[in-house]
Amino acid sequence: MAAVLTPVHEEKHVAAAEEHLVPVYVWELPVRLSHWGIVAAVTVLTWTGLYLHTPFLIFPGPRSWTMGTVRFIHELAGFELIGALIVRIYWFFAGNHWARWRQFLPLTRRQWHSLKAMVRYYTFQQRKPFEQIGHNTLAGLTYIVVYFLIACECVTGLVLLATVEGSPTLRFFVGWIPRVIDIQWIRLIHFMFMFFLMAFFIHHVYSAVLVAMTERNAEMESIFSGYKFVDDETIDEELEIAHLEPRHIFNPRRIHRDRHWDR
Amino acid sequence: MPDAQTVLEICKVRGFSRRRFMQFCGTMAATLALPTSYAQTIADALSTKRKPTLVWLEFQDCAGNTESMLRSPHPTIEDIVLEAVSLEYHETIMAGYGKHAEAALQRVVKEETGKYLVIVEGAIPTADDGIYCTVNGRTALSIVQEVCTGAAAVIAVGACAWDGGLVRSKPNPTGAVGLQEAVPGVNVVNLPGCPHNSVNTAAVLVHYLTFGALPALDAENRPLFAYGQIIHDQCERRAHYDAGRYVQAWGDEGHRKGWCLFKMGCKGPEANYNCPTVRWNNATSWPVKSGHGCIACASSRFWDTKSPFYSRLPHPPGFGVDVTASEIGWTVVGAVAAATAVHATGHVIRDHSHPGGTAEPHKDQAAERQTTEVR
Repeated sequence: MAAVLTPVHEEKHVAAAEEHLVPVYVWELPVRLSHWGIVAAVTVLTWTGLYLHTPFLIFPGPRSWTMGTVRFIHELAGFELIGALIVRIYWFFAGNHWARWRQFLPLTRRQWHSLKAMVRYYTFQQRKPFEQIGHNTLAGLTYIVVYFLIACECVTGLVLLATVEGSPTLRFFVGWIPRVIDIQWIRLIHFMFMFFLMAFFIHHVYSAVLVAMTERNAEMESIFSGYKFVDDETIDEELEIAHLEPRHIFNPRRIHRDRHWDR
Repeated sequence: MPDAQTVLEICKVRGFSRRRFMQFCGTMAATLALPTSYAQTIADALSTKRKPTLVWLEFQDCAGNTESMLRSPHPTIEDIVLEAVSLEYHETIMAGYGKHAEAALQRVVKEETGKYLVIVEGAIPTADDGIYCTVNGRTALSIVQEVCTGAAAVIAVGACAWDGGLVRSKPNPTGAVGLQEAVPGVNVVNLPGCPHNSVNTAAVLVHYLTFGALPALDAENRPLFAYGQIIHDQCERRAHYDAGRYVQAWGDEGHRKGWCLFKMGCKGPEANYNCPTVRWNNATSWPVKSGHGCIACASSRFWDTKSPFYSRLPHPPGFGVDVTASEIGWTVVGAVAAATAVHATGHVIRDHSHPGGTAEPHKDQAAERQTTEVR
């Protein structure tokens, strides 16, 4: 237990010295911003959404405006979520190698290996997760599902807003949807997908911590700093198999400062 | 009233004062969301224009829309408008019967083609060649195809005539459909609601008499003046909703104080209708005002889509009738949390029983590295 739960940051430097771990700038600013934007929005939207569905607090006072306020916060957070999703989708096509859409699908043989290895890892059939710099393929596929859920939440949310908001623009884009799928089913989808995102949240935090503790590659820190610590062998694989060049792996602005890592 | 030609003349015969008549014109202008000045325009039209011929067809229905029109405590001018049009055929209230009644319908269809109005009440069955509803040996489908295609305009009153209503709700054994599905392409105004509100029906007729045209319609051919806003936005209990004051059980303190019925499954937030403004029984009350949640009776396929009427959301299909969306959702979250806890425990147990196993061969990574070397 003690070995498993040893704080990652203490182990990192030791491991780096032993295995020649190299800091690689993996998560660029738009990736980190959209990630935390989605975290903040989904957290706020879940709490306010639960209240909107079942107002669990009753405010009998004469001047309360609770539901009005909660709805307003929910709508604001909803637009923030849409913004974060748009940034992330844009970065699927404009970002670095690890942010690109190809990283989320099993397109190469290496990605298939990654998928199989991660399934075996999670089912206790092997000790270490697949060593790679960006997303493993199992995580990538999961994130595709999550982005789909979030996109559905955004669209169904806009449909529900359009029923009360008289905006012709909004109605032009989503007003036709309730004539295809009844507004109550739209509400049900909007509600059920929230639970799927909650379940994903539990799994996501757990697996991130788990992999971070096993790999000791500063995985948890990477979503704050952008840097992961990767061993030489994995970098060689990424360079050769993924046809990457050093400029793809090392942040050009950081290379000078990190020269002592340069092999 | 054989000689009465206009609504005003009929009002005089029935003993309504001119003041009542002008009040009615003002009400109609307000219902149609027209400026006050249009009350005079409406009054002029109802005083001068000749009444159009109207036939009222009933198919798979409960006659509830007819009742909604007829059963007011005293005759209202809305009723007069519906009577004032030359009602040549109405199964429930016409005096004639048998071949004389059918001859009257045929006369209208043949002699006034393109000029008469039709009000349709009830759904139209299509299964098995439509034999589940026949009048005088003819199926409902063949009657509407003949009568409605020759009409200037068709008004579908009630949920059943709009989209099949109760008759069409699952499993719909008779293959019932609404009018605009049975006879596509006709000039139709839908007045859904279970039943229709005769004020709205009168307003459509008044609009037609006054302007010679049907009122502005939405994408589902419902008049915008009656179906342009959701009930929630017009509700007198809305302030309680925004404040966070809800009825939590029938007869509780909030219910006695008239708080919002949202938690009791009120479908006001998903229903388009002007119930809160025109109300019922001479504008006395409407369901939410009397303490019961809206069931969205004017919404598409409301028996299937808006039930259960006392829950916020429909139950997810495939889990049985009593399993709510919340129960399924929390079960999913709980199951993932439990699986996570089990997985974490498994890791701890394995790392204690077989410590230091991380150096074992790494099959897929090894295969990958093999490939690298070959290259």
